Parts: sequence; structure tokens; C-alpha cells
Amino acid sequence: MAHETEQEIHHPSFKQYLLIAIILFAITIVEFLLIWDRVGISDDLGASKIPLLVGLSVVKFYIVIMFYMHLRFDDKLFTRIFIAGLALAFLVGLALLGLFTAMNGDQRSYALDRAVPYEEHAETEKAAEETTTPATGETTETETTPIVSGPVAIAIGAVGETLAFDTASITADSGAEVTITFTNPSANNQHNLVIVEAGTKDAVAADGTAAGPANDWVPPGDARVVANTKLLDPGASGEVTFTAPAPGTYQFVCTFPGHNFTMFGDFVVN
Amino acid sequence: MAHAVEPEYTTTGLNHRKLLMWVFLGSDCLFFGALIATYMVYRGQSLVGPYPIDIINVPVTTISTFVLLMSSFAMVQALAATNADDKRGIVSWLLATAFLGAIFIGFQVVEFNAFKNEGLTLGGNLFGATFFTLTGFHGAHVTLGIIWLLAMAILAAKGRVGSKTALDVELVGLYWHFVDIVWIVIFTLLYLIGGFDTGPVALPGG
Repeated sequence: MAHETEQEIHHPSFKQYLLIAIILFAITIVEFLLIWDRVGISDDLGASKIPLLVGLSVVKFYIVIMFYMHLRFDDKLFTRIFIAGLALAFLVGLALLGLFTAMNGDQRSYALDRAVPYEEHAETEKAAEETTTPATGETTETETTPIVSGPVAIAIGAVGETLAFDTASITADSGAEVTITFTNPSANNQHNLVIVEAGTKDAVAADGTAAGPANDWVPPGDARVVANTKLLDPGASGEVTFTAPAPGTYQFVCTFPGHNFTMFGDFVVN
Repeated sequence: MAHAVEPEYTTTGLNHRKLLMWVFLGSDCLFFGALIATYMVYRGQSLVGPYPIDIINVPVTTISTFVLLMSSFAMVQALAATNADDKRGIVSWLLATAFLGAIFIGFQVVEFNAFKNEGLTLGGNLFGATFFTLTGFHGAHVTLGIIWLLAMAILAAKGRVGSKTALDVELVGLYWHFVDIVWIVIFTLLYLIGGFDTGPVALPGG
């Protein structure tokens, strides 16, 4: 029985295999032309090229399993086993995508609030250890009497054209008079610097977007905003002077619409 | 391996080893499916660079994709030569397949190295973690295939591979083509579609 089945399999000829190889090549070339922007088709198609690319790869996939892996000429049980695995894999993918899309809102804002560029990770962890170790049950025990020191001057900038501050963390003592000088080196982008309560940077930025450029993209009279600079044009710099609030960790952020996702840092008050 | 000559009795009427290979390939679909799904879940979620648009080089990878497709063609020729008991053909097509696979791996080594120099690491951001895990495991599959092909070529050179043991070549061929189709999916999703992704996408509620 098995012997007969093996004998019955007739493989395609050399010419047919060559034709299949040429078809596979041609599809890959078409795929490349679809996405390569110098050809110009890419922009015309926009997002509609994605189903096209998926479709073309499905065709390639089908040709390889049917001819090169000769499922077409083989016992149907092989096809069923393979399709079963493929279908399960597809379901796993759908389940994961569904699950993560459903939780995306919370998961993302949680991650964004805690995002630290990789190089600074080690330092942040060390700093976190230092602040947590003395606490044996009660947290801010040692910080009941704020130490008022002299005026603090802090200079901060942005990194070229990227949407990021050049400083990840700034520090001041509670009650001190702090002057932050923010320089915007960009040739194109407007920026501002807003000190906000911990974890509120995205919410404040969203309200700032609603407040509009007339308010420097900052929600007026908002209790979460500690201080802010004016909206700075490219190349400009501006200052803001304020009294450092109660000890804790605050955030500084650029509330120009969209910038808040990458352009922020910690303001630590001791 | 010479036992394949005798027709064996099985309840399905199918050869056990071949059936086993298809079961393995079906389960390997799940393995890659999970890794691909993980990549898609975290696509566009990296909060720090480098992002795909900064480093993915589609033209270069299109060339390595061609090389892998070509190796699949060499593989079917190796099986055809085996069925025809053409010893020289078997050895040279098997070596050609392994050689083209090795070129593909060479491209991957160069690519990984370039990405590393640009700051993409396994632990640096979500893109790096999901990209290297998926393409790395695919590269490991290809490497395993190359070793298998070379072992088969040595056996063939000793005259121990022919039409009576064609199943041995057919099995390595099935594995090799499977690795090729996985790459078809990876190339489309990670390079053609995902290769132009920029930084964090602002999501509603995010």
C-alpha cells in the first residue's frame, strides 16, 4: 500500500520546476517594486499595498507547499496535518493581537510614563534603590523638613531635530528658587517645557492641545502644571522661575502636540 | 536507512517518517506563528530607537530572499537527481542548496552586525527583542538545514543515497522548503510591510 502510494507520486519536470522558480522570482520583484519609493508606485498605492503584499506572499507560500513540497501530488492527509498546524498558528496570532489590542490603552500609557532610554536604565534603577532602601514601612519619613537651599539654575536643551530633551532627569531641593533655561536648537520645531505632577504628562499634553497655541499648548490654570516656559520658536530660548514644590518626583515635558510621547524627563525634588 | 526499500505496513498507508516530518512542520508553524504574532503585537510600540525605518535595508534583504528561493530550486533538483540515481547530480545539487543557504546566513550575519552597530540589541527595545528572536530562530533553522544537507551530500558522495532511499532526501527537502516559506512570511511582514515603521504611534487612549 505504502509502496504504491510512493510510486504514484509524479514530480514535475525540470522545465516545470524552472517555471515555478521564475514565477517565484517574478512575484518577489513585483513585491519589491511595490514598496520601493524610488519607483513611485509605493506612494500612489498608500495603505492599499499591504493587502496586495500579503496576497502575493500567500501566492508564493501556496506555490512552494503545493509544488516544491509536492502536497498537490501527495496524500491529502499530509496537507490536512500541515494546514491544521498553520490554522492553529493563525489562531494564536489572532488571539494575541486581539488580547493586546484590547488592553492597549492602559498598557501603553503605563509604559510611556515609565519609559527610560536604554543607556539610562542602570542609573535609574540605582537611584530607585537608593530612595526605597531607607524606607522601612513609612515612605517619606526623612523628608518632613524641607531643606531650603539657595537659588538653583538649570540649563536644558533639546537634541537637534529629534523630539527629545538632552537631559533625562533634573533635581532641586524643595522650597528652593529654581530657574530653568530651556534652549530650543531645532531649525524646524517649536518646543516648550512644562513641569507637571508625576504621571500626568500625557493628560496635560492632551489638554494643552485643546488649549491651543495661543496658550503655548498649556492648559491655563491647571492644578497639575507646576510651571512652564513660553512656546519657543526654532533657535529661541526661554526661562521660567518658580519655587520647587513638595518633595517627590515630577515630570517635565514638551506639550507641543505629539512631542509628549518622547520628549519628557523626571524632575526630582528632594 | 535502507529499510525504506521494503513496503512497510501502516494503518494510514503512509510512510511513518514522512508523516512524522509533516507533523513536525505543522507544529513548527505554531512555533513561528507565536514569534510572528509577538512581533506584530509589539509592532510600533518601541518607545526608544532605533526604529525599523532607521535600519531595515529592503534592497539587500530582497537579494538574500532571492538566494533562499534559488536554494529551494536547487533542492528540488537534488530530489529529482536522487530519483534518477544520478550520483553526481545528487551531490552537486545538495552542495548547491547548502551553499546558497550559507550565503543567506552570511547576509544575516552582516545584517545583524550592522544593526548591532546602529544600536539595535535584543534588550534595547521591543523592536530589537522581537526582531532578533524571530529572525534569529529562523537563521538557526537554516543553519540546521545546512548541516543536514552537508551530511546528506557526504552520504551521497559515498554512494549511499539513491532512488531506493529517496525519502531521506525528500525529508531534508521538506524541511528546507518549510524554512523557505517561513522566510516568505517574515520577509513580507518584517521588511516589506514593517520595514518602514517609524517611532511611537500615538494611539487613542495612549
